[in-house]
Amino acid sequence: MDSAKVGIFLSESGTELSKILDLDAITSYAKNIPGVVLVERESEFWRGKGLQTISEAVKNRKVNRVVVADTLPKLSEVKIVQAAQDAGLNPYLVEFLDLKHHCAWPHRETPSEATEKAKAMLLAATERAKLLEPLEKLEFPALKSVLVIGGGIAGIQTAIDLADLGFEVNLVEKEPFLGGLAARAGRFFPTDDCAICVQSPASDVKTITHTSRKCIYRSGFTEIPNLNVLTNSEVVSVDGVPGKYSVTIEKRPRYVNESKCVSCDLCTAVCPVEVPDDYNAKLDTRKAIYMNTPNVHPPVYVIDESACKFHDCARCVEVCPTDAIELDQKSEKTTLNVGSIIVATGFQEYDSSVIKEYHYDDYPDVITNLELARMIDGFGPTTGVIIRPSNHKPAKKVVMIQCVGSRDKRWNEYCSGICCMISLKHATLIKQAYPETDVTICYIDMRTTGREHEYYYERAREMGIKFVKGRPTEVTRDPETDKLIVDVEDALLKRFLELDADLVVLAPAMVPAEGTKELAEMLGLELDEDGFFKEYNAKLRPTETKLRGIYLCGGATFPKDAPTTSLHAHSAAMKATKFLKTGKIIKDQRTAVIDEEYCGDCEFCPVTCPYGAISLEPTTEDHFVARVSELLCEGCGICVGTCPLNAIELRHSRPNQMLAQMKGLMAVNGTSKPLVLAMCCSECGHTAVDSSGMAMMQYPANVRVMKVPCTGILQVHQFLDAFKAGAQGVMVVGCKSDGCHYEVGSQKAEKKVELTRTLLKEYGIEPERLEMFNMVYIEGDKFVEAAQLMTQRVEELGPLRIPREG
Amino acid sequence: MEPREKRRARSPGFSDAITSRLGGETITLCYQCGTCASSCPVARITERFNPREVIRLSLLGEKDEVLSADAIWLCCSCYNCQERCPQKVEIADVIYALRNIAFREGHIPDIYSEFASAILNNGRIATVSKFVEKKRPALGLPPLQPTGLDDVRKILSATGYEKLRQEEEDA
Repeated sequence: MDSAKVGIFLSESGTELSKILDLDAITSYAKNIPGVVLVERESEFWRGKGLQTISEAVKNRKVNRVVVADTLPKLSEVKIVQAAQDAGLNPYLVEFLDLKHHCAWPHRETPSEATEKAKAMLLAATERAKLLEPLEKLEFPALKSVLVIGGGIAGIQTAIDLADLGFEVNLVEKEPFLGGLAARAGRFFPTDDCAICVQSPASDVKTITHTSRKCIYRSGFTEIPNLNVLTNSEVVSVDGVPGKYSVTIEKRPRYVNESKCVSCDLCTAVCPVEVPDDYNAKLDTRKAIYMNTPNVHPPVYVIDESACKFHDCARCVEVCPTDAIELDQKSEKTTLNVGSIIVATGFQEYDSSVIKEYHYDDYPDVITNLELARMIDGFGPTTGVIIRPSNHKPAKKVVMIQCVGSRDKRWNEYCSGICCMISLKHATLIKQAYPETDVTICYIDMRTTGREHEYYYERAREMGIKFVKGRPTEVTRDPETDKLIVDVEDALLKRFLELDADLVVLAPAMVPAEGTKELAEMLGLELDEDGFFKEYNAKLRPTETKLRGIYLCGGATFPKDAPTTSLHAHSAAMKATKFLKTGKIIKDQRTAVIDEEYCGDCEFCPVTCPYGAISLEPTTEDHFVARVSELLCEGCGICVGTCPLNAIELRHSRPNQMLAQMKGLMAVNGTSKPLVLAMCCSECGHTAVDSSGMAMMQYPANVRVMKVPCTGILQVHQFLDAFKAGAQGVMVVGCKSDGCHYEVGSQKAEKKVELTRTLLKEYGIEPERLEMFNMVYIEGDKFVEAAQLMTQRVEELGPLRIPREG
Repeated sequence: MEPREKRRARSPGFSDAITSRLGGETITLCYQCGTCASSCPVARITERFNPREVIRLSLLGEKDEVLSADAIWLCCSCYNCQERCPQKVEIADVIYALRNIAFREGHIPDIYSEFASAILNNGRIATVSKFVEKKRPALGLPPLQPTGLDDVRKILSATGYEKLRQEEEDA
């Protein structure tokens, strides 16, 4: 590589900067830095003449490194880097600094000190620029196919979206029929219409209006040519990387050939085996060959393995007019290659039997909301009649109990969010059909947030549904009358009520679907403390995970009502589209590199990497070395900070680049105060410094700011280097401990700081010279406070004495 | 009726005083669902005690009302409320904390003072007269064992009871 010829481009920002900084003095200082061949001054460099100046300097090969001191570099960076690249310079050879917000404005009360600090900042940027290496863009393949796990309304809607957009979509459902919880719920709030209603796919040629919506079974979405539906199937293993996953699916035998069955019902008519119907809350029975309801999809019978007598009976085989029944079907495994995976596994009711005082297990007339939904459903076991399961007689008095196992520190601490609305929906549906039925809802707090939801509550009161504010302590049964008694305090009246009931309906907490934990392990995804899939960022990226290419939608992240589930499904489809649409993944090369000669296969880095980007691979000498996947590496450098042998470096933040920068910042003081180095992460830490400058908050100019990708990259020796370079105090400024952009970086840095402090003590150096601070962008005042605190502290401690080495 | 001004919380720091006491730590978790009240065998038979109300008044800073009333002394310590509280408020323990505060503030029903003196003097809550004692064999009961008064006093002294009593007497 040619020797570095650095061009410095110094922005004057109109006339304001020169009122504080002595730009002429800075310019002549810059001209004398070794390696600097050009210093240009313009009002700004991110547009017009300034931008042209940079382009020309590069084009004429006057410079091969560009240092830009521009205002708001975080904004202007994109344009300047693009211009440099267009002019023929590798974009990674451009270095930025912000003299306005990091120097002039926060030190406007001490202009001569600010000028000296500006010199140090320019020196640091130049020294770093000299050591920068050109980097390339990396390209990885992305298959234009998606796996959607879960065939409830979330999975179906996301699958339709993606299929309409032209992706190959595989929808896997573990039950024999599609629809998930929605199919059992029957009706949904806030529309009070069918739960299994979905938008028509674009491929439906009869769909002439965009307003069309149809039941799952007649929507025709399963007939979209590029949509493959696999029911009775489960994901058993997942391999590969984002853009190119290999997924093994096991399809359990249905014993009925899906392409032959005509759903004529002859088989169920002759089947002699009758078992309680789990799907319908055991309120009726079904045959060993069955469909959940007549409107299921696919419209193909399934045989219950645990009930069927197979070849000992085989009467269904005899009557089937299309020879669809195949009693010798076996499990089949298929492998799918997909670019992206969407998890739509939903949620389920919590097992109410653990709350012993409500006797869900003991009393048949204590049921759950989902079981009540089966009764209300016209297709259900009671054809819509509300009965007492103990004697099948109509229930005249219904008491509902909210928050069963939710908002309860003993079981699930969170509010499931949808149960108040579910109970209101059920209560009003019962009242509508049977106005004489007495319905009481016992609640702690009624939560009806959301569009139209409060109206539900109002309508329920109008209809004469009773509300008792109080959580019942117990449900008992009068052995003589067989009536249930709900013991509750009306907390508003401070009066004890014994509500008698024919039917008690519990509103259980909604918890993650069965198998969530296993699937998370298979996919390498994290779960939150409640056991749901953890989204990447609750505020901004609710359907993404920390793994590129894997998305979440619907109740898999938290219980959701239908409108929110739809939003989620469409969002996940959009995210997968963004990821796959070009067929390739473009990444930059600012990734970790491992020096295999020094790597001691200690397993620290593979365990620490938040993205699973590092694996240990065997070498020829019966020795393992760590290898970094450039596709998975996010460039945080946490592995660098973890490696005990200094065998890892992060491109563009290599130790020599960081050391040169550090030395530069410490080379010029110009203030009467001892130097303090603030090592700030590029996310919240560095932007907090920006915000303090923007607000013109003042802190002493002896505080020098150095940007690192993430504080997790920092190593113990770098703190010591800072002291050696002349810092009397070192601040590490990172994101909040639980808000690190790279998950664990701040936590790792905190530990490293703690360790170094112990070490400093050993060396006879005051440990309080080093401290970690955590802040977010808007906390510029916190940075100023920290800068002042550290300055004052090192002033009081007096000059740092570094003991002789050895 | 009291003027509105006066009906504001009298002792806003009262809940802090409770949470800083052993047993009282969890009181602020209460969300007033009433499970404790409907679980309470005492509340069933008298309006003078309702655990939910005691907690509510305490959190609102109604210190005098809570400490001077007999409600907190009526809890029978069955722990049913504590067992069923969905927020894991240690209700029965909160009541103990309140009793301790009440005692400190000079609110203790006479009967409790009498019990305490009796234990200190005789090692028993109630004095058993010779007349009653003589009936024991007829009822098939073994003769009363000596109470080991010295040991009882040692225990009471170790737990700080002596000191409290002394303070009370001085006051």
